[in-house]
Amino acid sequence: MFFPIQYLINHGIPQETISLLLMIPIIATIIALSRQVIGIKGFGIYTPLIISFAFLSTGLKFGLMLFLAILLVGTLSRLVVKKLRLLYLPRMAIIVIIVTLTVIGAMYLGIYANRTEVITTSIFAILIMITLIEKFIAAQIEQGARGAIILTSETLILSIISFWVVNWSWLQDVVVQYPVWIIIFSLLTNLLLGRWTGLRLFEYYRFREVIKNVELPKKK
Amino acid sequence: MLNFLKKSEYVLGLNARNLSYLRPSNSRRALRIADNKLLAKRILSKAGLPVLETYGVISSYDDLKNFDWNNLPPTFVLKPNRGLGGEGIVIVYGRREKEPRPWVKANRKMVSIEDLRDHIRNILEGIYSLTGLPDAAFFEERVKLLKLLKPYSFRGIPDIRIIVYNSVPIIAEMRLPTEESGGKANLHLGGIGVGIDMGTGITTCSIQRDRLIEYVPGKRVPLRGIQIPDWQEVLRMAVYAQQATRIGFLGIDIAIDRDKGPVILELNVRPGLAIQIANQSPLKDRLQRIKGLKIKTISKGVKIAQDLFGGEIEEELEGISGRRVIGINEPIEILDANRNRHLTMAKIDTGAYRSTVCKNLAEKLGLDKVIGRKKVKGALGAEERPIINLSFVMDKRLVSTETFIADRSEMKYDIIVGRKDLKRFLVDPAKNVFMKKPKIL
Repeated sequence: MFFPIQYLINHGIPQETISLLLMIPIIATIIALSRQVIGIKGFGIYTPLIISFAFLSTGLKFGLMLFLAILLVGTLSRLVVKKLRLLYLPRMAIIVIIVTLTVIGAMYLGIYANRTEVITTSIFAILIMITLIEKFIAAQIEQGARGAIILTSETLILSIISFWVVNWSWLQDVVVQYPVWIIIFSLLTNLLLGRWTGLRLFEYYRFREVIKNVELPKKK
Repeated sequence: MLNFLKKSEYVLGLNARNLSYLRPSNSRRALRIADNKLLAKRILSKAGLPVLETYGVISSYDDLKNFDWNNLPPTFVLKPNRGLGGEGIVIVYGRREKEPRPWVKANRKMVSIEDLRDHIRNILEGIYSLTGLPDAAFFEERVKLLKLLKPYSFRGIPDIRIIVYNSVPIIAEMRLPTEESGGKANLHLGGIGVGIDMGTGITTCSIQRDRLIEYVPGKRVPLRGIQIPDWQEVLRMAVYAQQATRIGFLGIDIAIDRDKGPVILELNVRPGLAIQIANQSPLKDRLQRIKGLKIKTISKGVKIAQDLFGGEIEEELEGISGRRVIGINEPIEILDANRNRHLTMAKIDTGAYRSTVCKNLAEKLGLDKVIGRKKVKGALGAEERPIINLSFVMDKRLVSTETFIADRSEMKYDIIVGRKDLKRFLVDPAKNVFMKKPKIL
């Protein structure tokens, strides 16, 4: 194992912590790649990354359910609060309060229905989901329903892919074994991506009619 | 498949737009101008370009408190200064006389002063601004819809987006507000993008949500073939606006007001790429052809655009009719006695039956062998004119005919071409209007 990493582990830092940290360059690269080469936008790097880490502690199925439930409650309360005509931040605060109350309510429900997930879920996962609602609601206000749905589903897809990558036990070992290569590989990939001027995969589809109509110069 | 990939290299994608065109040609300064509507308006109007009148600016709560609402005209538009994608705009069409004198919106809903105050507070808070930072609100003159464009637009005002790069208009589209877009001319909200032939200012293909359409949604009104009024002027304005702002790669939105004519609405440093679909024409190819050219005057930039990127309408017409479209002034090549080509300018005259060529020219080319004579009646009385055999090439077509010869040494053109020789052509009086000399001489 790479010596500095071994040193950290010998001094009590859990291997899991280190492997999670070293996953960040990989996830960030995957997200950059999906935007520049495929054309999936999402909300930057932070949101899909943090959601995938939240999924890690809740499990994918329960995490997704929690996320969609919070999103639904947030959207509905936005539509109600909208009618009150308030300034932006107080309005957003009220939405966050309603979402928080709903989550507490859901806990009662979980206990009543004897669902253990509700009791064992780490509070950080729930906190992350509740605070992220601001981003998703802001997107609804700025982009309208259609834009928000597209952005939100793109973010979710990226989060799920990131979750699978982070959860991949083979890769968890590899990043701890070869941290230098992982970093170099990520840096190089991003340097290349940053200079990439080709069409994105989705653009080939979007511009297919234009491409078909292009007249190539005749060869002599 | 390989062909498809090769062709795709002509299309401009977001990556290439950002990296190859926005970054190198648009500085931080450029972003500051284009994202700040009031600043952009100031710079443009200083350069003498027509912009919409500003009735008032509110940039703080104090301004809002002291604002004199009675100074506002009955119809206006309220906008956030750094708004994005048409968000946060309120349009009012009139004001009721009865107290509390509310204004009326497009959907006939009433807006009171209190409503406007609420809205302005939201704008000041920065809800509609790009960055979420505090913003200013301003009142602006409402563009009056041109009668010609009324059947095509739902409530709002259509505008013309022209992308200018290196002083040459590269591509143009008209953006029409629809019911789906809520009366806004933004394509991502569901507005219609209509491609425009750069040469003539006539509309070609149309798209809504990136799909090709032929008619206004829900109506049988075709979107093809609309002539944009003042096209030459619109192009000139776009080039001038780019030069005045010194932004290298710029989308310019121009509306045509019923009374004022073309006015610049807004500048956009990140113009959308769907304009390629609306024109069914790739952008990267056009940009590469313009890159590095030295454009000295506005007219030159406009002319290059019309010559290089125009002609779609003409090609289509020529395809359907099997005839060539020519202008009133047309370069032609006369074949002399030895079948050598001699280039000159011709005047196309659909009022004359037979063509007439200058006697001096005919002699010079050795074509003055008279084969007959014919009487002509003109404004100056009847006259008998000699006829000769003449062959010429006009717009790549060979015409062999018999023409009059007459003394035309005092005239501007050596030859006029009449109806008899125009049967394989269509005459478009708007074509080549600015052509003075044949290019090749």
